[in-house]
Amino acid sequence: MDLIWSDYANLALNGLAEGLLMALPALAVTLVFGVARFPNAAVGDFVSLGSFGALAAHRASGGSTLAAALGGIGAGAAGTWLGWRLAFRPLLGRKGLAMLLTSIGVGFVLRAAMGLGLGHEIQLFDLPLLKAWRWGPLIMNPLDVLVGAMALVCVALVFALLRFTSVGRTMRAIADDMDLARVVGIDSRAAMARMWVLSGVVCGVAGLALGLKTQVSPEAGADVLLPAFAAAVVGGLGNPLGAVLGAVCLGILQELSTPFVGFTYKIALSYVAMLLVLLWRPQGLFGRVQGVR
Amino acid sequence: MEAYLLAIFITALVYVLLTLGLNFQYGFTGLINFGYVGFFALGAYASAICTARLGWPAWSGFLLGMVVPFFLAWPLGRIALRLRDDYLAIVTLGFSEVVRLVIINEKQLTNGGQGIAGVPKLFEFGGAGLGGDALLAAVLLLACTAVAWLVRCVVKSPYGRLIQAIRDDETALLALGKNPARFKTQVLMLGGAIAGLAGSFYAHYIGYVTPDQFLPIVTFQVWMAMIMGGVGRLRGAVAGAFLLLLVLEGSRAVRDLLPGLPEVAMSSIRLAVIGVALILFIRFRPQGLWGAPRD
Repeated sequence: MDLIWSDYANLALNGLAEGLLMALPALAVTLVFGVARFPNAAVGDFVSLGSFGALAAHRASGGSTLAAALGGIGAGAAGTWLGWRLAFRPLLGRKGLAMLLTSIGVGFVLRAAMGLGLGHEIQLFDLPLLKAWRWGPLIMNPLDVLVGAMALVCVALVFALLRFTSVGRTMRAIADDMDLARVVGIDSRAAMARMWVLSGVVCGVAGLALGLKTQVSPEAGADVLLPAFAAAVVGGLGNPLGAVLGAVCLGILQELSTPFVGFTYKIALSYVAMLLVLLWRPQGLFGRVQGVR
Repeated sequence: MEAYLLAIFITALVYVLLTLGLNFQYGFTGLINFGYVGFFALGAYASAICTARLGWPAWSGFLLGMVVPFFLAWPLGRIALRLRDDYLAIVTLGFSEVVRLVIINEKQLTNGGQGIAGVPKLFEFGGAGLGGDALLAAVLLLACTAVAWLVRCVVKSPYGRLIQAIRDDETALLALGKNPARFKTQVLMLGGAIAGLAGSFYAHYIGYVTPDQFLPIVTFQVWMAMIMGGVGRLRGAVAGAFLLLLVLEGSRAVRDLLPGLPEVAMSSIRLAVIGVALILFIRFRPQGLWGAPRD
């Protein structure tokens, strides 16, 4: 089978869409890592929760995408805030591993609760059938464009919040140096709570995007956890821009490799890419070198 | 009833082996291995392929089941030793998923998602009676004792003091002119071989292997057994593994209270029980039920 340039271009476009979708959970992982110093393993399940919230709002509003986004955001933010209050805040000051194991437990509980309360049937968004867009040999699924645009808007808003608002500045200060931020009078607990809610908002949008593109089920979100981890690690844990760029790079790399390694191995490829990046730069592409403890 | 108790006993002993190996890696050396199930899977598949597919004798499967994870841990260690703790957790978690993807993909060797059936029992006599399983339990008990004894010897030796120093203060060890990286890799390899041994026993006992038996949740069950029993305590590994089985089997009792519960609901309940136990133990009893306080 000979592939011509337009096949690669189409694969790259698919990869871009896939990467933008993965950028959201990767961003959620890295935001929490910035303030709490552990990779949050419950992110996948918060994404599932966001999917269910978005689906419920979508159905209740008769198919409004905006309502679905608000529903997803509400569910995701409520989930992470509750998780912070009940499970993570009591562990402040403990080692990262305690937080990490707790996040695994939180993820299990959440997944189990969704399975028991909402059922295991796979549900889909009711969407009008859309014809693929064509420009010459290039083909694009309008759904991919919608999901990609949604991810870009969400990422842009998060960056604007972190960069240009005082709330964002306090959050960045906490992520940079907790003790120093405390010394200058920043309420670290409040800033951490906001960061958790922000990561929940991102999870909610990710849930809507994932639900639109694939399906809604209690297990669907858990499948994005490892790709999101890989993207966040490649970009350097704790670096929001790195997570987004890492996800896009891995997405494109995965799709471009499909003709060579096959459909199932492309998932493994992002781990291999992650390992290679870590061999070359143990702190990730855009991560900072951490001082010796 | 005897068959049920024997089944629980054998499964618990498999978890004891796994917990001993993980305790060696995390409890004594401080390596956060979240991909432990990958090594377990390698051992189980090595035995299944050797015996059920190639028709080789069981000992070859046991040998390969320990050798393969032993050597696959080496490259993992080479990468891992350069990384911070949180990265190591993600890398090892990724490793176990790659192992599972390879198992699903290499259909010629592993029969893909359908798995390999017909792994022979280790001991068979007296027809369908419990004799064979009872003997298996005895051999497994012997293996657990031997591994526990070996780990104990290693931990009490100068080598053991060295790896515990890695856990407690790696910088100080570097200052003494030791190379922690080398020892970390060795510990990953040895712990991997212990998981492989557990995998071989498991494959021969259950009689079939599929990729679904080796999901990351198994890793976290072993972590839970280790935490409940006490991190860095060999006796704790035994107690924790049996306690884990008690928790897992106890959640089955829910079905007796609510008959007609579908299997998916049962698996959700088991998941919730593990999750809640993990959260509560880490919050209120991080040293485990018997371990020395240390966090």
